[in-house]
Amino acid sequence: MAPTHRSLPGLYLHVPFCSAICPYCDFAVLRAGGAIRARFADRLIAEVAIAAASWPDPRPFDTVYFGGGTPSLLPPGDLARVLAACADRLPLASPAPWVFLEANPEDVTPGACAAWRRLGVRTLSLGVQSFDDDALRFLGRRHTGRQARTAVETAQAAGFDTVSVDLIFGLPGQTAAAWRRDLEVAVGLSPGHLSCYQLTIHPRTVFGVRAARGQLVELPDTEQAALFDLTHRFLADAGWPAYEVSNFASSPEHRSRHNRKYWDHTPYLGLGPSAHSFALVPASAHAGRADAGGASARGHRWWNERHLRVWEQYVVAGKRPVAGEELLGPPALASETLLLGLRTTAGVDLDAFAARYGIDLLETNHALVTRLVRAGRLQVREDPQGQRLAPTVRGLAVADSLAAAFDLPLPT
Amino acid sequence: MDQQHIRNFCIIAHIDHGKSTLADRLLELTGALSTREMQAQVLDSMELERERGITIKAHTVTLRHRTADGEEVRLNLIDTPGHVDFSYEVSRSLAACEGALLVVDASQGVEAQTLANAYLAVEQGLELVPVLNKIDLPAAEPERVREQIAQVVGIDASESLAISAKSGDGVAAVLAALVERIPPPGGDPGAPLRALVFDASYDPYRGVRCLVRVVDGEMTVGQPVRFMGVGHDDQVAELGILTPRAVPVERLGAGEVGYLFAGLKELRRVRVGDTVTSSRQPAIAPLPGFREAKPMVFAGLYPVDSTAFGELREALEKLSLNDSAFSFQADTSQALGFGFRCGFLGLLHMEIVQERLEREFGLDLITTAPGVEYRVLTTRGEVVEVSNPAQMPDPGSIEAIEEPVILATILTPDAYLGGILKLAQERRGEQISMEYLGGGRVLLVYRLPLAEVVLDFFDRLKSVSRGYASLDYHLDGYRTGDLVRLDLLVNGEPVDALATIVHRSGAYQRARGLAAKLGEMIPRQLFEVVIQAAIHNRVIAREVVRPLRKNVIAKCYGGDITRKRKLLERQKEGKKRLKRLGRVDIPQEAFLAVLRVET
Ligand SMILES: Nc1nc2c(ncn2[C@@H]2O[C@H](COP(=O)(O)OP(=O)(O)OP(=O)(O)O)[C@@H](O)[C@H]2O)c(=O)[nH]1
Ligand code: SF4
Ligand SMILES: [Mg+2]
Repeated sequence: MAPTHRSLPGLYLHVPFCSAICPYCDFAVLRAGGAIRARFADRLIAEVAIAAASWPDPRPFDTVYFGGGTPSLLPPGDLARVLAACADRLPLASPAPWVFLEANPEDVTPGACAAWRRLGVRTLSLGVQSFDDDALRFLGRRHTGRQARTAVETAQAAGFDTVSVDLIFGLPGQTAAAWRRDLEVAVGLSPGHLSCYQLTIHPRTVFGVRAARGQLVELPDTEQAALFDLTHRFLADAGWPAYEVSNFASSPEHRSRHNRKYWDHTPYLGLGPSAHSFALVPASAHAGRADAGGASARGHRWWNERHLRVWEQYVVAGKRPVAGEELLGPPALASETLLLGLRTTAGVDLDAFAARYGIDLLETNHALVTRLVRAGRLQVREDPQGQRLAPTVRGLAVADSLAAAFDLPLPT
Repeated sequence: MDQQHIRNFCIIAHIDHGKSTLADRLLELTGALSTREMQAQVLDSMELERERGITIKAHTVTLRHRTADGEEVRLNLIDTPGHVDFSYEVSRSLAACEGALLVVDASQGVEAQTLANAYLAVEQGLELVPVLNKIDLPAAEPERVREQIAQVVGIDASESLAISAKSGDGVAAVLAALVERIPPPGGDPGAPLRALVFDASYDPYRGVRCLVRVVDGEMTVGQPVRFMGVGHDDQVAELGILTPRAVPVERLGAGEVGYLFAGLKELRRVRVGDTVTSSRQPAIAPLPGFREAKPMVFAGLYPVDSTAFGELREALEKLSLNDSAFSFQADTSQALGFGFRCGFLGLLHMEIVQERLEREFGLDLITTAPGVEYRVLTTRGEVVEVSNPAQMPDPGSIEAIEEPVILATILTPDAYLGGILKLAQERRGEQISMEYLGGGRVLLVYRLPLAEVVLDFFDRLKSVSRGYASLDYHLDGYRTGDLVRLDLLVNGEPVDALATIVHRSGAYQRARGLAAKLGEMIPRQLFEVVIQAAIHNRVIAREVVRPLRKNVIAKCYGGDITRKRKLLERQKEGKKRLKRLGRVDIPQEAFLAVLRVET
């Protein structure tokens, strides 16, 4: 990983529509009629103009990510207009940024793929979730296992640089054998990238309500842990080693160059309802350079209104649809660096951490690290670039506890 | 007010027999509170009292009453708690009174604290007026209970009044009877001032507030006064009576009860039981004061945040003004840092003190396993008192350990006798007497090791008797026992705050129970946690908390890292409430695991 502030910023565009709402989903999504959908691209274009006026980083965006929701529901013409507006108002990398698009299998046709390719889409990320019809029905998905397979093959034939398959595991009652079958189908299709998310039951969802009523019983902890282990072992053996808690790639080029910006404090601009943005603020206002690394950089994160209607009202009025914001000083940045770093197999760059936050993690948490290394949760690796503190697979499984176990003393 | 027109009395009874409800009716009949201000058990003004529906503190109120022949009488009423842990409140209240209403639930009859409190009142020479309450209940048997009072308590019950404090039936007669039968206060109005401080509390704005009963002479605002016991001179800043609202008055005469603010801010200058006299014309001798309460149960209190030690000390000082029955002494623990070893009258008392410290003073506390105070005879012939198991001398230097014993009075319907005898035997009890009282009731007297009683004896007694047996006890010396210290080790390190002293015969069972309970209470963490229980370095029980297998949220939503970090911060915040020993996070409750072990 290059030092964070040297990476070029990323652009995220949130498309909040789905053809139906999955019972486990807690994203800012909705089913909306044709009129609302039809005007969405115009609203987004309006926000591009508003945001461009205040986005502080002059460097070009080298990734553009259409996420959702289901961006594949927007006609390619709309996507094209949005991209054109971005190119017009914002600095985009030349010749072209790497474009990502999330799609549902039922929208993937050779024609659609060709259109997306023409837009510059290089990673197509497919919301497959499972290849098993029963699991798909349980998850409230609108496609079958067969359709999912066909969609992956269609995408691959269309020549995207990376085809990514999203899967969900840990469904109530799911056995190791059933999950392994899903994984086998997935690797048999040989996509460049895989995301395997564990089903999380959120309170304000259909599943959440059912769970509260006792109609749905979450998979017990130990079984979830076993499936997590299985996932990582199976995919590593098959040639898709993890590079993050839930993300696997067949080679480094297939790793998501956009998502990793979220993990290492590279600036990103998020547009559309509920989208988050992050920018670095130079320590000294006079420095005026976007290249705002160094020990005293601050972070600025803000997020948009979650509800489509509210968000629309703001952009139509020419105002920033920002719902909240946060300034991050070195303690918060350090905490996030550790938290996010320990979710990746690359881990935390110890020298960079010390240089930026004045904390020598090995020295300040010596006993903890020693014990975690002995317990097979962490490793201290020597890279050509320096020392790194990285989780093992057993460490990834408890990444949230790992980060919480560290003391981050304020530098004196 | 001349003494002939004053009556000072308290209401005493077994727990829940209706003291506070009777006080409500007396307040109503005398018009002390408007209907709007009235609520059930209105004198139970502490938040904890209302939540638990029991009286914890004695509450004093002054009522104006006009008798049938039109004379105005001032009644000073003290409502007392019924629970055995608070009997010290009762004995202090009695010292301010000439009489007591002995309330007995007519559906339950005489219970253990009816007896204990009646004896206390008789000992202090108070006039007892028996009141049979709850006659509205279908199960009420006033006649039989009247007999019981005569027989068991041994007082004349022929003129006892039958009432329903709930409905108000018969309560007017109570007013008449107490004016007629309770003597007016004696005392010499012309003698130098002597007033008994029978309660106190701390007001953050005004300093120390004393409740006083003037015995001789009179006290006036502005008067220079002396607290005789501590030898502190001060001036009367405000006097007043509680109606129950605080109403300032200019003077309090002999026989009157009221509150006193001197300039006092310093807590050490006031002791409950002290005598206030005039600085100019001091009395020769102070009033008798109170026998110090003897703590029965000891436990460590430690601030969760170790920097709050000073705050805890201040809070303890302020609270002890209002609750003189607990003791505290600075102590340290390897595991928990600086704190206090505190003595309480019982477990409920301990719980209440902890809760009051947390609520009234905003502290966050860890309480360690409650135990009793042992007397250790060393091989060098010394006697050491040990209330903290961690401070037990080295086994090689111990000649013998003596444990406190109590004399327990148990009243029960005979149907449950079998279960109770078995329980008492399991708890190493020695029967002193067993007396059939007639009506199917039995009075048992047992000598029992206090340590076997403090934790859960009462609960067990209630469960073997379906709630019908009642218990009262007092300390009765020491007895040698085969006692050992049970150490608990977490990952091989002994945790001093978890050590307990047990009888050898029950050591294995206790060790297994404790280790298992701790195993349940300590959450899974990144590392395996091994819990061992040992006697003299020999491990006799072991439990393992397996390490956490999975704790990671699958997805970092888009760029919403803020949410993720907040979760982490909350997780860390939660951890602060755990005590970290070595690298093991132990929840506060775990230090009280001993209370959760089935015995
Ligand atoms: N039926 C009936 N219930 C009563 C009567 N007097 C009191 N009670 C009920 O008995 C319960 C206990 O009443 P309290 O007045 O709190 O009893 P207490 O003696 O002050 O209790 P402690 O102060 O905790 O010892 C309450 O639920 C009252 O409502 C009565 O005359 N009849
Ligand atoms: S398709 Fe994805 S975003 Fe849409 S409802 Fe389902 S899970 Fe949520
Ligand atoms: Mg009461």
